[in-house]
Amino acid sequence: MKTLNIAFRNIFRNSRRSLMTILAIGVSAVAIHLFGGYVAQVIYGMQTDFVRDNGHLHIYQKGFFDFGAGNPVAYGISRYLELIQMITHDPQLKDHVLIATPIIKLFGIAGNFQKDVSKTFFGIGYVPSEFKKMWQWNDYNMPSRASRKNRVALSDSDIEGGIIGEGMARMLLLCDQLNIKNCVDEIPEKTIAPIDETEDFNYLAEPSASNTNLEKIDQRPKLDLLAATAGGAPNIVSLYVNNAEIQAVKAMDDSYVAMNVSLAQRLLYGKGEKKTTGIIVQLKHTKDIPWVKARLKQLFAENKLDLEIKDYTQIVPMYRQTISFLFAVFSFIAAIMGMIVLFTIINTMTMNVMERVNEIGTIRALGLRRSGILWQFIAEGFVLGILGATFGSIASVIIAMGINASGISYIPPNYVDPVPLTIVIFQNPFLMPVCWTIFVLLSVGSSIFPARKAGKMVIVDALRHV
Amino acid sequence: MNKNESVVRLTNVTKTYFMGKVEVEALRGITIQIPVKRFNVIIGPSGSGKTTLLNLLGCIDFPSSGQMEVCGQEVARMNDKQASDFRAENIGFIFQNFNLVPVLSAYENVEYPLLLMKKPAAERKQLTLKMLDAVGLSKHQNHRPNELSGGQRQRVAIARALVKGPKLVLADEPTANLDSKTGKSIIDLMYAMQSENHTTFIFSSHDKQVMEYSEKVFEIRDGLLVKEKEN
Repeated sequence: MKTLNIAFRNIFRNSRRSLMTILAIGVSAVAIHLFGGYVAQVIYGMQTDFVRDNGHLHIYQKGFFDFGAGNPVAYGISRYLELIQMITHDPQLKDHVLIATPIIKLFGIAGNFQKDVSKTFFGIGYVPSEFKKMWQWNDYNMPSRASRKNRVALSDSDIEGGIIGEGMARMLLLCDQLNIKNCVDEIPEKTIAPIDETEDFNYLAEPSASNTNLEKIDQRPKLDLLAATAGGAPNIVSLYVNNAEIQAVKAMDDSYVAMNVSLAQRLLYGKGEKKTTGIIVQLKHTKDIPWVKARLKQLFAENKLDLEIKDYTQIVPMYRQTISFLFAVFSFIAAIMGMIVLFTIINTMTMNVMERVNEIGTIRALGLRRSGILWQFIAEGFVLGILGATFGSIASVIIAMGINASGISYIPPNYVDPVPLTIVIFQNPFLMPVCWTIFVLLSVGSSIFPARKAGKMVIVDALRHV
Repeated sequence: MNKNESVVRLTNVTKTYFMGKVEVEALRGITIQIPVKRFNVIIGPSGSGKTTLLNLLGCIDFPSSGQMEVCGQEVARMNDKQASDFRAENIGFIFQNFNLVPVLSAYENVEYPLLLMKKPAAERKQLTLKMLDAVGLSKHQNHRPNELSGGQRQRVAIARALVKGPKLVLADEPTANLDSKTGKSIIDLMYAMQSENHTTFIFSSHDKQVMEYSEKVFEIRDGLLVKEKEN
């Protein structure tokens, strides 16, 4: 205790130098905390968005993940409602699972035959009310994004309604009808001779009585979606576009079609058994993934179901890649800050030793061992580290609060709408304590070299020093 | 130890060191016995080896050859840890430049050697206050060295040297940085303290006042003991 007391007094002998050292440690701590808080925000924000859109787990027929994109019909899950019932009513799972809902992924051709244009599409079919519930997931209390709150959702009752990408709308000449900003319908000059009417698949879309009625009353733009059914025959359904939503990736924006799951089933399975290509499971907490995955595997084995489970990091590989990238940048910044602290403290402590040579000689003559001198200077590094790291922590919290309150937003890669810039220092309970400890240890480590130098001084030489 | 015994016995001690590449023979086979519980002075011109001898006696330096016994212990072959513990237990130092620890108050400076000896807090407090009172600095116990005069600082240094009850107190020209009046008061104080505590004092000094007080004078010249005189 006396050693720490003396250390505290010694570091304020040259208060300007010590304050600069504390400032250097503090600024380094602020840089690490703020960047760490930003990284945490990106990670938790990304996770929140992925989990809202894709859930935590996807259940597929075995092989779908690797081969299903080419032939979704072949990998349909039969009696999926029973499977969902089994998951949501399992006594061990029900407290962990929020939603289990079907999802269909499919490919085909979308045509706007009023304008004589068509394009390949990537479609997803889902239960709108359950997706809306999935968007409520916010385990990390991330700030809500205005665009998400205002998102035009499909409804369960509007079976033929749909949402398409803005690029898709542009190519299908729906900009004017959907009132898309900065988008004008430009009818391309035909370079290819028009296809014979009899060869156009439009003839397949024989309007049913109900469709004819809908066309009469529904003012929404209509698309005809063509896909191959389970039997291999082409099938067409009509989709009425509610809205166009820009997608983050251009290729996706140019081909995105979201629809009610029952419409997707009608397109993919025709009049046959209605299946789904996957089941999304959203959990209450991300940390439950391993446990829930294990339980699901057990359930599938017990019921002899040939299914596979993928978590959101496997479904969206970009998540892991982004985390790896951010950790690399964070480590780089932390290493630079660490080096700055290291050299600052070595310099300060070396100066402290050089200024106190005579004093070192005196207290050694009085009977203090070499180890005593060593500990005295290490204690000074320790106190400097504590003061600097504590100052840095407090400053980080104040600056982070200021940034969070400022309302600054930005558009991250693969996003289409602004995300509030927030520094989530407290979301990761380890960030501040670990940084604080590392800075203190770094300060202690940096002072060992000068302390050893002080401890090894020859007493008579030290006493002679002027 | 009775008054006829020696606190220090040096037999044919040499000390050689290097100043750059030049070898300097500071002590050239000195043999000396310094009596216990006395006021002893080592005199000699600059460069004669007085400070080197005091450094050896204080176990802050070690001889190149010869035998050396301080306070009944062979010290020439002690390692650093043993020498540190030995100094903490047995030897008090009074320096020419006072050498107080600037961040410690007068009280804490005096208490410091007791901390090194791991004395209990209550005992430390009692001994420190008693010693500060003895040197007349009770009222200045909370002052830092830079708030004290030269004489007061040397009084603190004397209290620091004596507080642990050492067998041997070494003082390297303790009055050199003081005016003659203050110097005399310091010598008076040391003499009184020596009489009261029955400690062995060894000075190196040019100061005639110090020599007047001394009971035994050792004169060193060119690294050899040339004269030994009882006062």
